[in-house]
Formats: sequence, structure tokens, C-alpha cells
Amino acid sequence: MSGNLSRRKFLAASAAVTAGSIAAPWIARAQTNEITALLITGGPLYPKYWEKIVQDFTAKTGIKVRYDLLEFTPLTAKVVTLSAARSSQYDVYSTHTAQIDSYFNHFAPLNSYFSDSELAEFYPVAVKYLRDPKTGNLAAIPRNMDARVQYYRSDIYQEKGLKPAETWEELVDVGLKLTGNGHYGLVVPGQGDPAQRTFSDLLWQAGGDWVDQANKPAFNSEAGIRALTFYRDLIQKHKIVPSDAVGYQWNENSTEFSSGTVYANFDWPGAFATLSNPETSRIVGKWSTAPYVRDKAAISCAISHAMALNGQSGRKEAAVEFIKYTVGADAQRLQFEQFTNFPSSQAIAKEVIAAAKGPQATWLRQLETTIANGKEWPKLAGFSKVCTLMFSAIEQALSDQVSPADSLNQAATEAEEIMRRAGAYD
Amino acid sequence: MSAVAQHQAPGRRRRSPLPYTWQRGYLLASPALLVMLAILVYPLGYSFIMSFFRWDLSGSAPFIGTGNYSDELFGRQFNQALRNQTIFSVVSITIEVVAGMAIAVLVNGKLRGMRLARTLLLVPPMIAPAVVGLNFRWLFNTQYGLVDALLRMFNLPDIPWLNHPAWALVSVIVADVWQNTPLMVLLFLAGLQSLPQEPLEAATVDGATPWQRFWHIVLPLMRPVIMIALMLRIIDTFRTFDVVWLMTQGGPGGATNLLTVYSYLLAFQAVDFGHAAAVSYIALGMSLFVLGLLYGVPWLIAKRRAI
Repeated sequence: MSGNLSRRKFLAASAAVTAGSIAAPWIARAQTNEITALLITGGPLYPKYWEKIVQDFTAKTGIKVRYDLLEFTPLTAKVVTLSAARSSQYDVYSTHTAQIDSYFNHFAPLNSYFSDSELAEFYPVAVKYLRDPKTGNLAAIPRNMDARVQYYRSDIYQEKGLKPAETWEELVDVGLKLTGNGHYGLVVPGQGDPAQRTFSDLLWQAGGDWVDQANKPAFNSEAGIRALTFYRDLIQKHKIVPSDAVGYQWNENSTEFSSGTVYANFDWPGAFATLSNPETSRIVGKWSTAPYVRDKAAISCAISHAMALNGQSGRKEAAVEFIKYTVGADAQRLQFEQFTNFPSSQAIAKEVIAAAKGPQATWLRQLETTIANGKEWPKLAGFSKVCTLMFSAIEQALSDQVSPADSLNQAATEAEEIMRRAGAYD
Repeated sequence: MSAVAQHQAPGRRRRSPLPYTWQRGYLLASPALLVMLAILVYPLGYSFIMSFFRWDLSGSAPFIGTGNYSDELFGRQFNQALRNQTIFSVVSITIEVVAGMAIAVLVNGKLRGMRLARTLLLVPPMIAPAVVGLNFRWLFNTQYGLVDALLRMFNLPDIPWLNHPAWALVSVIVADVWQNTPLMVLLFLAGLQSLPQEPLEAATVDGATPWQRFWHIVLPLMRPVIMIALMLRIIDTFRTFDVVWLMTQGGPGGATNLLTVYSYLLAFQAVDFGHAAAVSYIALGMSLFVLGLLYGVPWLIAKRRAI
């Protein structure tokens, strides 16, 4: 054999090395009992939680899980990119009901993996909004509920002889009595998806809805205009909300309350753990909870964080086993213990409520009521794009660029066109 | 390759349109060219094709011709983004070039402390735009920000920097100017230091004032450097994203939506890749058009003068 390396040999060897490098991860995966998952994180406790879940799952089933953690916004962007590329990089995704309609054709339906009795274990509102209304396919399975109650400064309220607001009018009255000297009575988000959820709450409370019986936009009804006007006035007219809230999302809201600047906030179940922890809250022991406010109705968003199966996955059976484990009883109990995430399983929720005592029991019952009365925006074709349109429409009204009526009317016209193009009326 | 084939190679080389050394050069460069094709040309071409389809995650992607382009060009949100982009680019580039030139002339002098000033000028361009965005977000916060705190110290009213549509656009321009003016200074400084001294000395002997020397000698000689600076900034402002995203996410209500931010929102929030690709290509077309004007108009004028 000649020691000289010919050009042909060099090219052939280079091609072999390149092909080997590209194929290596797939070969390695094919030879092991391993699945991959892209999972949600947020805060220092999540990595430990997922580590434990994955360890326990592997010990129980022998299936290894290689996973990456991302916070909600980058996770959503990554799932969008991977779905568009029809990637099989991950078998399992953490997801959320907020944009689920975008993924109806990319997440594998979970119907056949869960029996009717298993599905009946979960809160109906969660399962309902994870289904494709056209096909009935279940795009994901709820892992924990994301509903809100009122968190307020019990020490300050007591000092001023106030009770937490129950109605819109009381919210303004109480807020006005608390605002001053660098403090505000309330904080609400004013940007993006959190603003849309807040508007949803107020829209339903005012007696309106997103679409009418024919699925045509109806959020610009009298109720919708009243809801957005009330929302804007909290910031611009009554000034009981910091003016910067126009650019706030959930994190800023929570920080305003936990730092002691603001005296009331509508927050999700995880806030209970954050506010009780001296490392993340300056108001430990100085707050309490109350039901969400109401107007004509007592309705607010009840949505869920969920787990989905990638339609491109080549290991669907193993991936579904993992998904089932993450929404199973042990995982839901652990979630509640670590982050006070409200279980999506009705049985586990009842169990934790029964075991809870004092303020925690009260808070859990309030959450349960919110979820029982909860709703979500429709999962019609094109509604994800309508949501982004609404982000801008709501922000324009909140920052006083246009009137709530003009903003909603303009958005309704554009929303109908978007849904028509997307095939919502076909 | 066999010995016979190797002996025949010169005969074949004569028939090839490329010399043998070129062929070998292309062969050796081919891996790099393939990588370039894969990571640069392919995505560009793919996204261009995507812009002619209704491309979301719904499963089907019908061809709709220039539908995405016409939707956007006549759409309210695109036109708002286009207006913001125009204001952002024109105002920030104008301030950066004028202020950059003024500071460059100043630090080019032999005043005390100028060496330190030149070193400090390197700091803003070295900071990641994401960090700049976060810093300015807090500086301009009405409740906790330093800027409004200073205003309060002088009994001046708070300015809703990031909450009012007009002030929000001003805020992102300020952040961009802060980060990019030093870059202009450095470019202009390099230009100023390479200028021939004879015309300036002759003008001084003839009694020209400093302003006359600057206006009639320095500025015309600096024209090539200014053109490069303008070109860099035009390209850069059309792809500004990080600072705006971290300061306002394009809000409030789209008041600071630039074309890049709008395209991102379409792709990753509305999950509408067809429209997002169309917006990106309109932005690319616009920046090429502006650059064409920048270089084409002086060239045409010079050509007409020559005729």
C-alpha cells in the first residue's frame, strides 16, 4: 500500500468523516433506549425538579431522557422554529394552551394514548382548549393549571381599614385609597400576551366574548369597549397602576408586588411560593389572597401548561410514557410541593386542597373556583395571529394612542380577514 | 489517478476553460464554498421562496404569488413599522454622523485628556446591544430610572420615556446613538489623521478661519470616509433588533416596531413565516435602494459633469 495520499482518497476520507459526524448522534440514539425533550424552566427550582422527574422516570422504565431547559418565551420561539423545520430533534415538548392552535398539525394527537376515563381526570377546561375544534384531536395534555387570584397586602389593608376588592368599582376605590407616596394600589400587565389575558378576563367579566356564534370577532362589542376602557383607565385616568405598566409583563408585575411598591396584583399559582420565600420576596407574611374581581360575571382565564408529543418523533411510545409520567400523580404532587403549581388532575387538586391548612387552603379553594369558572380564547384557525394583532391593539389603547373603541373596531376588521384567510370559516 | 491518466492531464488541461492551478484552487476551496452555500445562500433562497407562499404551521402552504408582499405593503402594522424605521434610521444616523464628526474633530486636537477620551470611546461599541437595551430600559423607567430621578431633583416633571409612543421612539434612538456615535468618531478620527496636511497649512497661511478650513477642505476630503460610515450605519439600522426588543419589544402598541422587530413578531408570535419573510425582503430591498441612492446619485452627477 502506497503511503501517498491521493486527492481522491483525501476527498473520500473527508466525506466519510463528515457523514459519520452527522450520523453519529442518530446512530447513538438508535442504539440506546433514549428520548429527547425540550422542557420549560423558570426560577432556580425548575432544573432540580426536572432532574428528579427524569431520574425517577428512568429508574422506573429504563428509558433515558436527554433534555434541554428553556424559559417560556425562548422555548416558544424554539418550538415554532423546530416545527417549521419538521425537526425530530426533540420527541417531547413543554407547551402551553396560549398558542396551541399553531401546532395542531405538528404535535401528534394524544387521543389514542389516553383513555376517556384518564382524560376525565383532568380539569375539563384544560382539556377542552388543548383540542383542535375541527378534528377533536388532543394536541397536548395539561401538566398544571395557570389561573389567577388576587394577591394583596393584608398588613396595609388592615392598617387602612380596607377589604380586598370584589368588583371593578371597588378595585378603583380601594386602589385610589392606597395610591400615593411612591406606592400604587394595583399593578396590571400592559404588554403582549399578559395584556391579552388581562383584557380577556375583563371582556368576559363585562359579559362579552371573543367571537360570536358564527365565530366572527365580537370583542369590539359594547362589553369589549367597556372592558378595554376600564383597563386603560386604571393606568391613565385613575392612575392607581404605575404608568410603566404599559410595558410590563408577568415578571415585572410580580416584582412590583413582591418588592412592596404595589399593594395588589392578580398573579398565577406559582406566586404563592415566590411570595412566601424570603429570597424572592420582601413581603413574606404581609400578604394574603382573595378571589379575582368580577363585574357582570366572575370569569377569568384558566389555561394550562402542557406536554406535547412531536409529530416527527420516531420514538412515540417511549415519549408518551414520559409524557404520562410528567402529568402523573407523583409528578403533580412534586410540582405542588416545590412551586405550588396547581395540579391539572382534579383528584390530585382535591388531595392537596384537603391536606392544606389556613391561608393556603383558602387560596387553593379560590383557585379552584377560578378554574371552575375559567375560559380561554377560541382555538380557531388563524387565532394565534389575531392574538398578536390584539397585543398591539390593547397596547395602543392602554398607552392612549387611540380610543378603545377605535382600537377594537380596527382589530376586529383585521381579525376577521386573518381568520377568513386561515380557513376558520371554511 | 493512474500514471497514464496523469500524463494525459496536460492535454485535457488545454481544453479546459480554466487553468489547472485555478481548478485545483476551486477544488480546495470547495468545502468552504459548500458550507457557505449551505448556511448562507440556501437559507436566503429558501426564505425568499417562502415569501411567495402562505407559510404557517397549518400543514398546507399554498403558493400565493406576491400576496404576502401586497398584504404587508398595504397593511396598517407594516406601514407603522416602516414609518418608525424611517424615523429611526434618518434621525439616529444624522445625529451619529454629525455628533461623530464634531467629537472626532475635538479629540483629534492636541488638548489635554484626549488620549483618555479616545480610549473611553471604545467602550460603548464593545458592549453587547442586548446589555445596552437592558441598561437603557432601566435608565428610562419612570419609577426607578436614573433619568427621571434626575429630572425630579430639578423639580421637572417625569417623562414617560417608554410608555408614550413618541418618547419611546426617542428612547430607542438615544440608546442607538449612545452605542454607535463612538464608532463614527473612531472612523472619522482615522480619516482625519490620514488627511494631507499641506492644503490645511496653505489655507491657514491664506488666513482661512478654522470653520472655513473644516467646511471647504476637511469635509470634502473626508467624503469617502463619510460615505463608508453612512453605508455601515444604513445597513446596521435596517437590522437593529436587540436594543429595541429589550427596551420595548416594539411597544407601546407598535410605536417602536422596526421592520426587524415586526418580522420577528410575525414569525415567532403570529407563526406566519410567509409574511415575516416578505417583510424581511422588503427591508432588504429598501436598504439596497437607499445604498444605491447614496452611491448612485453622486456617480450620476459626476458622470453628467464629465459629459
